[in-house]
Amino acid sequence: MDGKIAQRLRAIVGEDNYLDSVEDLINYSYDASVDEALPEAVVLPETTEEIAEIMKLANSAGIPVTPRGAGTNLSGGTIPHKGGIVIALTRMKKILELSKENRYAIVEAGLTNLELQNEAHKLGLFYPPDPASWAVSTMGGNVGENAGGPRGVKYGVTRDWILGLKIVLADGRIINTGGITAKNVTGVDMTSLFCGSEGLLGIVSEITVKLLPIPPFRQSIQAFFPRIDGASGTVTRIIGSGIVPVALELMDSVVINMVEDSKKIGLPRNVQGVLLIMVDGPESECRRQSSMIEEICIDQGASHVDVAGTADEEEALWVARRAAFGVMSQKLPNCILEDVTVPVSRLPEMIKGIIKIGETYDLTIGVLAHAGDGNTHPMIVTDKRDTDEWERVEKAVSDIFHLAVDLGGTLSGEHGIGLSKKPFMHLIYNEHEFQLLRELKQILDPKGILNPGKITD
Amino acid sequence: MDKPKPLLSAGTKEHVYHCAKCGLCLEVCPVYRELLVESASPRGKVQLAKHIIEGNLDITRHMSEILFSQCLLCGSCVAACPSGVDQAALFSGLRWRATERHGIPLVKKLFFYVLAHKWIMSSSAWFGRWARKIFSGLKIEDHILLGNLSLAGVPPFNKTFFNDETPEVVSASGGRKGRVLYFHGCATNYVFADIGHSVVSVLSRMGLDVTVPKGQSCCGLPVFLSGDRKTSLKCMEENLTLFARDEFDAVIVDCATCGSALRKEYPHILRELRDLGEPIGADMIEKAELLASKVRDVSEFVAEHMHWLPEMEHRGPEVRVTYHDPCHLLKGQGVGSEPRKILRAIPGIKFVEMNEAGTCCGGGGEFQIEHGETSALITERKLGNIYDVQAEVVATGCPGCNITIGAHLDKTKGIQVMHPLQLLQRALPDKK
Repeated sequence: MDGKIAQRLRAIVGEDNYLDSVEDLINYSYDASVDEALPEAVVLPETTEEIAEIMKLANSAGIPVTPRGAGTNLSGGTIPHKGGIVIALTRMKKILELSKENRYAIVEAGLTNLELQNEAHKLGLFYPPDPASWAVSTMGGNVGENAGGPRGVKYGVTRDWILGLKIVLADGRIINTGGITAKNVTGVDMTSLFCGSEGLLGIVSEITVKLLPIPPFRQSIQAFFPRIDGASGTVTRIIGSGIVPVALELMDSVVINMVEDSKKIGLPRNVQGVLLIMVDGPESECRRQSSMIEEICIDQGASHVDVAGTADEEEALWVARRAAFGVMSQKLPNCILEDVTVPVSRLPEMIKGIIKIGETYDLTIGVLAHAGDGNTHPMIVTDKRDTDEWERVEKAVSDIFHLAVDLGGTLSGEHGIGLSKKPFMHLIYNEHEFQLLRELKQILDPKGILNPGKITD
Repeated sequence: MDKPKPLLSAGTKEHVYHCAKCGLCLEVCPVYRELLVESASPRGKVQLAKHIIEGNLDITRHMSEILFSQCLLCGSCVAACPSGVDQAALFSGLRWRATERHGIPLVKKLFFYVLAHKWIMSSSAWFGRWARKIFSGLKIEDHILLGNLSLAGVPPFNKTFFNDETPEVVSASGGRKGRVLYFHGCATNYVFADIGHSVVSVLSRMGLDVTVPKGQSCCGLPVFLSGDRKTSLKCMEENLTLFARDEFDAVIVDCATCGSALRKEYPHILRELRDLGEPIGADMIEKAELLASKVRDVSEFVAEHMHWLPEMEHRGPEVRVTYHDPCHLLKGQGVGSEPRKILRAIPGIKFVEMNEAGTCCGGGGEFQIEHGETSALITERKLGNIYDVQAEVVATGCPGCNITIGAHLDKTKGIQVMHPLQLLQRALPDKK
């Protein structure tokens, strides 16, 4: 970093919040994806005004800026591809307001999702989006990636729960979008424009979210299927039946067997699929829905169905699901977790297609899916150092994207585009759409300093 | 020309490639939670390790500082890592190399330096006399603040050392059910003799012959973690001679750190040293494995054999007790439910679970002295959780945690720190 710029950055954020040792630069060169690129400096601002000052400086000097939270994103969206400054928002983590009467919270971008949940719980409230990384991932990061989670079937994704944002624009101007009211159609919905924009259009510093009362009751059901068609068919039937489950998760035999290898919790090894379903609401309604779901499962050929009666039993049912990603990545150094989404009715074809792609390229691919919303996470376990296999992994990933798009689906359900999916954007965007995106970028960030090298470049 | 020595063993190196960079370790890392910067996170240090292993990064002085000042080696990340990365093995290996290059950090205060080295000599009588003269005779300790640790809050040395005042064999009372060896560690020997007496008393009254070998050494772990592997090897050799013995049913340990050392670290360290070309015989590794298989934390052993205990009595008013999980016990040895089982079984105890019972107290041995500011932030969080449940006694199975928590508790609240075995002993009927 140029000495004068470094000095001014130090003056803005303070000595403790400015880092440029080689160790620190390495430590902000990655996220949870496979790529890496070194920044020239890292700053950890503590206020929106500091972010604004940093942006004014970066904009006038034309220095690239990559904003990030805890760096748990899987798409390479927070890798400082063109060097420059990384703005890490992890030290901005205050809850500025938490209103029980109006059911909203205003939080700083660096607060973790779980920290918000914990405080909301004290008032009998919860924040519905629940990415698997919620204990670590920041609210700003959740907004940037438009994060989802298992509860997405019923409750949707981050975008559905954001009332307003405070944003620092590329040139340092501070704007507010939305507000604290439940309804708000004053002007164009700029909040949605920034939610999921992966740090390309502005830096989110504060977020106003809607909260919900914690439902009075919930129940989980686990069903094992000797044939994968039975599992995916059950998903389509449940969604078609009018029931809105909170979560509807699917794991295939590869995942089941790997979990069992590692955890030895007594999962059947000869089934092709397991479904984990959760419903919530008034107790009588939950029980009615549970028994309907049980019937559908049996009708679709389930060999075994468990309905959790107690909290402990429910916890036990979710052990395997929570362990899934971990055990997959224990097996071999790299576990490529993909994130394609298809319409629920096309899920059976998608899952069969993924299994076939695994066979074609002789790869171990496990399937984990937030099946209820068609969001599929094929997990390819590999060793990146094996160059021959890595080539096949890249081909398989490409095939998976093409298949999802052919089935009417999309490239990402909740992880974003970042660096890793940029080469496939043309499968979804036509030239006019790209053009509009670039024009928007041009207006908001004329010098192209915000997270450069990503979707719009 | 000599081939350069490998930095780490092949097995340890491989761990860096299994890190998925998922970041789930950030949540459980006590240092990251306070500093909120990536170098403090286990993931960050694994990535730096990767660059060092691949030759892109030197173990600079700054890297050395990161290894020592931004990690307690508490093992929380090891326990939580979904990919099974052993960060502790990686970081302690790098500390060793960092020490070789930059020396033991000079900032290490004289007080601790002397302790670390003299405790190795175990029952060295001259050290005892010296230590008492320095630390009990003078009043200076009231004014000394070492990092996060005020000397005034640290318990004084035992009048006589535990090992000197305990017979080598304490026989079982009643019918004999077995024979155990007792490894008491430095802290019980020099500071917490009462805990040692409780342990021996409870075990003998459970029907066990308790052998307390003379001349037992420091477990070596504090020295090892400071990066001085050669010196710790001497401790290991001495302890293996005394404790790797098949004719005993178990080796009982009352210190979380010592237990972790004997149970997990000895075989691991010895194998790693062998893989790196140090002269470690197969017999030594065999002995370490035998010892590892015999080691039981005292809470774990007692909880497994509760039916051997005499019937307990309710004495005095009800006491509100909470439990702090030492990192080396919960994450190092997987012992957490056992001390709670004991506490819940003691009549007259109202057991209350505090928030975040399983997170570090901020001590981390020398960490609190060298890196007082970070340590203080972590300790403050722990104290808040203790006050929230209005405990009268904090039970914990680690003398290090006992000292750290004890030194910082608000004196006006009158909260005591005790080993679960001390509470248990109080509830046992007097010997007939």
